[in-house]
Amino acid sequence: MECAVVLVGKTLGKLKHAPPKVIGRACVILALFVQIAAAQAIQYQRPVETAPQADSIGGRYKVPAVQKPLPRDYWLQVVDVVALAAAMGISVWLVLRRRSRRWLTALTVASLAYFGFYREGCICPIGSLQNVVVALADPKYSIPMVVTATFVLPLVVALYFGRAFCGGVCALGAIQELVVLKPVQVPRRLDRALGLLKYVYLGLAILFAVKPALTRDFPICRFDPFVGFFRRTGAPHMLILGGAFLVVGMFVGRPYCRYLCPYAGLLAWCTRLARRGVTITPNKELDCGLCREACPYGAIEKMRAVRRNCLYCARCYASCPRDGELARAKRVRSLPDGRGSEALSEPRPSGSECGAAS
Amino acid sequence: MMKTLIAGALVVLCVAILVTDYVVADRQPFAARPAAEQKRVTAARLARKSRDNAVAWVLIAAAAAFLAFAKGMVKPEKPRAPSGRSATRGSRADEGVRPTLPELDLSFVDQVVAQIGRGKEAAIPLLGAIQKHYRYLPDEALRRVCELTEITPAEIAGTSSFYGQFRRSPVGEHIVRVCHGTACHVSGARQITEELRRYLAIPDGEDTDAARMFTLDEVACLGCCSLAPVLMVDGRTAGKLTPATACDALKVTA
Repeated sequence: MECAVVLVGKTLGKLKHAPPKVIGRACVILALFVQIAAAQAIQYQRPVETAPQADSIGGRYKVPAVQKPLPRDYWLQVVDVVALAAAMGISVWLVLRRRSRRWLTALTVASLAYFGFYREGCICPIGSLQNVVVALADPKYSIPMVVTATFVLPLVVALYFGRAFCGGVCALGAIQELVVLKPVQVPRRLDRALGLLKYVYLGLAILFAVKPALTRDFPICRFDPFVGFFRRTGAPHMLILGGAFLVVGMFVGRPYCRYLCPYAGLLAWCTRLARRGVTITPNKELDCGLCREACPYGAIEKMRAVRRNCLYCARCYASCPRDGELARAKRVRSLPDGRGSEALSEPRPSGSECGAAS
Repeated sequence: MMKTLIAGALVVLCVAILVTDYVVADRQPFAARPAAEQKRVTAARLARKSRDNAVAWVLIAAAAAFLAFAKGMVKPEKPRAPSGRSATRGSRADEGVRPTLPELDLSFVDQVVAQIGRGKEAAIPLLGAIQKHYRYLPDEALRRVCELTEITPAEIAGTSSFYGQFRRSPVGEHIVRVCHGTACHVSGARQITEELRRYLAIPDGEDTDAARMFTLDEVACLGCCSLAPVLMVDGRTAGKLTPATACDALKVTA
């Protein structure tokens, strides 16, 4: 006990000198833990197992064959959460370390296949937002640990590295990411104004979720435009809406993520405290403005990446003459005749590979 | 092009099949029918559902193929794609076999020495006149000065390298002075210079591009700090630059 008190005292002492961002992160993580504890207050039980069985009903009652599919095995649900965490880790590593757009695209396709088409878009952190809200508001409602974990993990990652979940992990983002064909730059003011819609949607989703049990509604899942594609069935109006989103998405980068996704609002708040993120600096990159033109999401302002809007697609690095695949490909191509490297004009002190070439 | 069209047509076809299936679907009340009829309808509906599922998979595959082909088509059209830029830069470098300098006419040196004098005190006026005529100090002309006057080669070398305004190597047609004063340095003069060097493909350690059009000069202050970062091309000043606009400042001249 004493030990614990000393530990808490030491942590608080350290916090007094910590930068405000660290304190902010600590507060958010503490709040998330409180939320987990509150949401897990009631033991979750599967209704299937507690339902009256044939022998308890009696009267030669025969339980009919189950019409609906049984819930997924618990260990498989845990695998889903682990896959989510792993995918986010890989996303962070590919974007911040490798700066590789090509591998990130591969991760995007894999996520779309697994979280989208195989898991049929469920459960996703975006929708789990509502379940968490209900679990906090309704004392009789409980959610399994996997749902809470799915909700919390991307937020924690956003606290440290920015919206790594949005790039290459989220199935809804992945399907839009892959349809981007010839994006136009949305005017800055329009972009900002439309970006406020997601907070309105977030407010509405919470409002509908905290209503009493019978009038409660889950609008995020009901109006999920892409889940119909993942399940290859759905209400016709939702399929048409999803198709429209995808067609618009060919020319406006990821419209749902930028303007409607309610979870994006929470992630954007968390990125304000982020420790690292996609950065564009005059030292490592160039300040030539090519990345701003390459970014379909308007997340580069005045040659610097804006973390709350950055969707971790690594296009900026891919378009950079000094960075990523483009530079690497050029360097390799320029080696045989030895003249191309001059055109590339690497002002940095030449690394070992250049030295070996000459 | 052809592949994109085929994939696009397949997408349209699949969507058309799914829409027709939805429109012509049998929606009569189910319970009112006889049992045999019910079985038949159920079988038909199940068959339709599995067929629609297959069509949906084909649709997804076709859409993916369409996007992949269309992306290949869209890419080369990008106006400021880095590959296009490097291509123009590459051609610059290709033509960059430096234009050979014309044979120097040294009669001007004889003339100016006769005018100014042969004493040691004439060194700076001589160098000034020579630089004004040739736009730099050619080695041949300096050697000729040594032959004609009392000035030693060591003195010539010392004087010409001491003063910043004397140049020992040929200059480009236009001189670009990039300000590196405090205000310009803070607002990114280094990045401007780097971008210009890249744009003109000037190798490290040199200051003039291959075609001898531009010579880059880093100067201390141009006296208009409110416009930082600033550069001057010949007599013209361009201010509030970014790396993207710095190259345009040169284009007006060229």
